[in-house]
Amino acid sequence: MHPLYGTTAVAGIGMRQYRRGASPLPEQGVLVEAILAACADADLDPAEVDGFVSYGDDRNEPVRLMPALGTRELKWSSVVWGGGGGGIAGAFGLAAAAILSGQARAVIVFRALVEGSSGRLSAAVMAHHLNDHMLAAGIVAPAQVCAIRANRMYEHHGVPKSVAEDLVRASYYHGARNPEAVAYGDDLDVEGFRDARWIAEPFRLFDCSRENDGAAAFLMVSAERARDLKKAPAYLLGCANGAEKGWGDLLENDDAVLYPTAGFRSIARRLYAETGLSPADIDVVQLYENFSAQGVASLIDHGFCTYENVAEVVRFDNLIAPSGKLPINTGGGNFAQGFIHGIGTAYEAVKQLRGESSNPVPDAKICLLAGGPGAPTVSSAIFANEIP
Amino acid sequence: MDVIDGADAPYWNGLVEGRLMLPRCGGCGDWLWPAVSRCGKCGSEAIEWTARAMAGTIFSWTRTWHRFGFTESLDLPFVSIVATVDDCGIRLLGRLDDPDRIDPVMGETITGRVGATRVENRDIPTIIWSRG
Ligand SMILES: [Zn+2]
Repeated sequence: MHPLYGTTAVAGIGMRQYRRGASPLPEQGVLVEAILAACADADLDPAEVDGFVSYGDDRNEPVRLMPALGTRELKWSSVVWGGGGGGIAGAFGLAAAAILSGQARAVIVFRALVEGSSGRLSAAVMAHHLNDHMLAAGIVAPAQVCAIRANRMYEHHGVPKSVAEDLVRASYYHGARNPEAVAYGDDLDVEGFRDARWIAEPFRLFDCSRENDGAAAFLMVSAERARDLKKAPAYLLGCANGAEKGWGDLLENDDAVLYPTAGFRSIARRLYAETGLSPADIDVVQLYENFSAQGVASLIDHGFCTYENVAEVVRFDNLIAPSGKLPINTGGGNFAQGFIHGIGTAYEAVKQLRGESSNPVPDAKICLLAGGPGAPTVSSAIFANEIP
Repeated sequence: MDVIDGADAPYWNGLVEGRLMLPRCGGCGDWLWPAVSRCGKCGSEAIEWTARAMAGTIFSWTRTWHRFGFTESLDLPFVSIVATVDDCGIRLLGRLDDPDRIDPVMGETITGRVGATRVENRDIPTIIWSRG
């Protein structure tokens, strides 16, 4: 069995989320609150936390959190390379690596984003790889980068554009029923979705996630330790991070077969091989959707459907809890739960496995966290509430 | 203009002179893009910059309607494309003339000319593609 399989777990979660520009505290203050909430959730003394992991250019270097948290000794601080949300699931793998190798015992995985403190996320993501080739073409934003890939998927690979609407509706359906979601109480107005202004074709406004202020934190410990803490463990069963040859920051020269994907083919292959699981074993998916088409591409990459049968699988009825066979984004996802660089998807993964979700999936045991799609480096992870 | 000193400097210098220059491995003949200092396939460090015609086909595209920062010099909407350059297969980012707002078609034949894109206080050499 792979060393990551069921050997660590998320024992506590905490999140603070606000509308963009509405955070009552600066970024570090919001993050500290989220970390304290995660520790309280597990009933673990925050001073005992000895490791921190983040991704996506988070600006909160862990050593600076020590005074507010009362940290006794910092033993591990690391970040997953890559400017987009591609590293979100990989961050849990990095935390597990620290714990399993004995370099830290209680590790916080976090992401914090308060616009007043660190500016627009989209700008930070692009600063990572913006160059003169892109500037000259007028390609300066993640929406445009993903739009060009999406058109290739729709037009060259024959994916019907209608699936994007079903995906977005499913996120909103769940978000409308989640009191912690920014879209709580608001089902998607389908006419409004179809008539919304263009951003970059094929994306209209509601094909795009919109940023929120906030922070989320996850306390990871060994599986053994997690069983002694207050809440039921969400075990990490597997995690894969990286890129295969022909995918990456290649100035649009990715392998033609990989070009319209979300970059997860090798990730999914490894994740399933190392856990012994397959798409059929996944009860619920928390799907990072920066843009609608990339969410669809991610589902294809992770083996839930193909270019040919995508319209049969990515249907609104099939994507919603409790009745759908492939429930996705049961908290509302980035579109409707809120977008703090995707960290809300991991939050909902744990809530769903604990039975705390506002949109519970009956008897859900295994949850896939599909990380930020389309990034040069991507990652995904599988969590479970028991070890199969 | 900023100092051009990256691995792709000959590309930018070529455009300034009105030519499309692209890098090819002197060892195995593979076209290499993004520009690199070493061919990952055969290990050769002999990079041969070679002129290509500004002729190709549309690989993919987007038409931008939202005013993103850094695009202030471009009239909305504008079309950005990924163009596959003939006789090498390298794909380049560029812009497509869009006078009649007709959606581009993948595989459509295009020809390019050198123009420029104003970004903040710089004029970046740019291949502007047209249909036919
Ligand atoms: Zn070579």
